[in-house]
Amino acid sequence: MEYFAPKSLNEALSLLDRFGNQAKVIAGGTDVMVDIKYKEEPGCLINIKGISGLAGIKENGGSLSIGPLTTIREIETSALVRDKLPVLWEAAHQFASLQIRNTATIGGNICRASPSGETLTPLLVLEAQAKFAFSDKESREAFSSFFSGPGKTSLGAKGLLTAIDIPYPAAESRGVYLKHAVRGAMDIAMVGVAVLLTPDGAKNNVQDVRIGLGAVAPTPIRAAKTEALLRGKPLTPALLKQAAAMAASEASPIDDQRSSAEYRRWIVAALTRRGLGQAWKSATGKEVAQ
Amino acid sequence: MSFMIKTTINGKEVSASADASTSLLEFLRDTLELKGTKLCCNTGECGACTVIFNGRPINSCVTLAADADGAEITTIEGLAEGDSLHAVQQAFIDTGAVQCGYCTPGYIISVKALLDRTTKPTPEDIEEAVSGNICRCTGYAKIVDAIHLAADRIAGRA
Repeated sequence: MEYFAPKSLNEALSLLDRFGNQAKVIAGGTDVMVDIKYKEEPGCLINIKGISGLAGIKENGGSLSIGPLTTIREIETSALVRDKLPVLWEAAHQFASLQIRNTATIGGNICRASPSGETLTPLLVLEAQAKFAFSDKESREAFSSFFSGPGKTSLGAKGLLTAIDIPYPAAESRGVYLKHAVRGAMDIAMVGVAVLLTPDGAKNNVQDVRIGLGAVAPTPIRAAKTEALLRGKPLTPALLKQAAAMAASEASPIDDQRSSAEYRRWIVAALTRRGLGQAWKSATGKEVAQ
Repeated sequence: MSFMIKTTINGKEVSASADASTSLLEFLRDTLELKGTKLCCNTGECGACTVIFNGRPINSCVTLAADADGAEITTIEGLAEGDSLHAVQQAFIDTGAVQCGYCTPGYIISVKALLDRTTKPTPEDIEEAVSGNICRCTGYAKIVDAIHLAADRIAGRA
C-alpha cells in the first residue's frame, strides 16, 4: 500500500486525480482503519489530516462553516453549535463514544455516507451545503442531493470535501435529534430522526417543518410528504398520528442484524411523533392537545 | 511502504519505523513492546486499547501509527512512578474493580483522562468518560466506585 500525507489541498487533489478508485482518503481513521484491518488495504492511502485550513468552526454572518477535519468532539464542545444548531449538537453528543468523538471527523462521517451516519439527518433538516473540490474545479451542493447511496456521494473517487456550510435556522424554530439503538454509546442507530419545526407568529400552526430520517433508506432522507402534510396546520393529536404513519410509509428500510424493516417502520412512526411533539412544545411552550 | 515515526511516549522520545497500514496499537505493542495497552475488538468499539493522545483519550486500534509522529502519548505503563501506583490504579485495586483485568488498562486510561479534566466528576461525566469502555466481568458498579475513590483521593477528600 502506498501512503501519502499531502500538506495542501492541491497536492491531495492531484493525488486523487492520479490514483482515483485505488485511493482511500483517511482523516480520523475510525472507519477506514477497520476497513484496512478487516476488509482490504486500498492501493494507496491519502492522509489528509496534515492539510491546514480544513478544520475549525467559523461563523459567517447567518451561517456556520465547519471544516471537514473538525472532530465530532470539537462540534460537541462548541458553544456556537450548541447555541445556534442544537439539532447538530445533539447528534454529536450521541455519537459513538468519547474516544471516537475525539478522533472521528464530521467530514469522515459525511463522506462515509452511511444511511445511519449520526450527523447526516441534522445536516439535511438544517439544509446545509457541501463545498468540495476536484483538481480542476470547485463545487457546492445541498446535502439533500449530495448522497446517492450507501458510501456514495457527489465526490466520486476524485473529489474532496472542503467545508460544510450550515445556515442558521429561524430563531423561533426548535430542533430535536432522536436515535433508537440498543445501547446508548457505541451503537449504530436502528433509526435516527431529526426534526426542525418553526411555528407561526401566533404559535398556533406549523409554519415550517423539516423531518430527516436516518438508517431507513439507502441514504438519509427528508420525509417530504409528511412535511407537506403538516405545513400550515395546528399540531393536533390526530394530525400527529397521521404524520407518524406517513413518515413510516416514506421510509424504505431493510432487514438486517440490527432490526427488521417492519420494526424500523414502527420506530420511524414513534420517533417522528415524539420528535414533532418535543419540537412543538419547545417552540410554542404548549403540549400537543390530547 | 514504511517510514520513521518520532513520538513522545510516557515522557520519553522514541523513534521507530512503521508500515503505512500499522495502527498505533500495533506500533505500541509489537514495535515498542508496550504490551499494557490491549488488543481486543480492533474496531474501536471496546476501549481496551485506549491511550491518551495529546491530552485526549482515543482508541489506538483505529488510529494510524503515522499520526503519532510529533504527538505526545500516555499509555498505562506511564502512570505508576516506580513502585508507587497512580491513584486511579490503586483505587481500582482497593474497590475490587478488576476481575479478569483485560479491560482494566483501557478503563484506567479513560479515568485518568477524566480526572485530568476534573476531580469533581458528575455521574454524567463518569458515564461519558467510560461509556466507550466495555467490561464483561464486573458489572460496572465497582468501576464507578473506583472512579469516585480515585477522584476523592486526588482532590484530597479521602
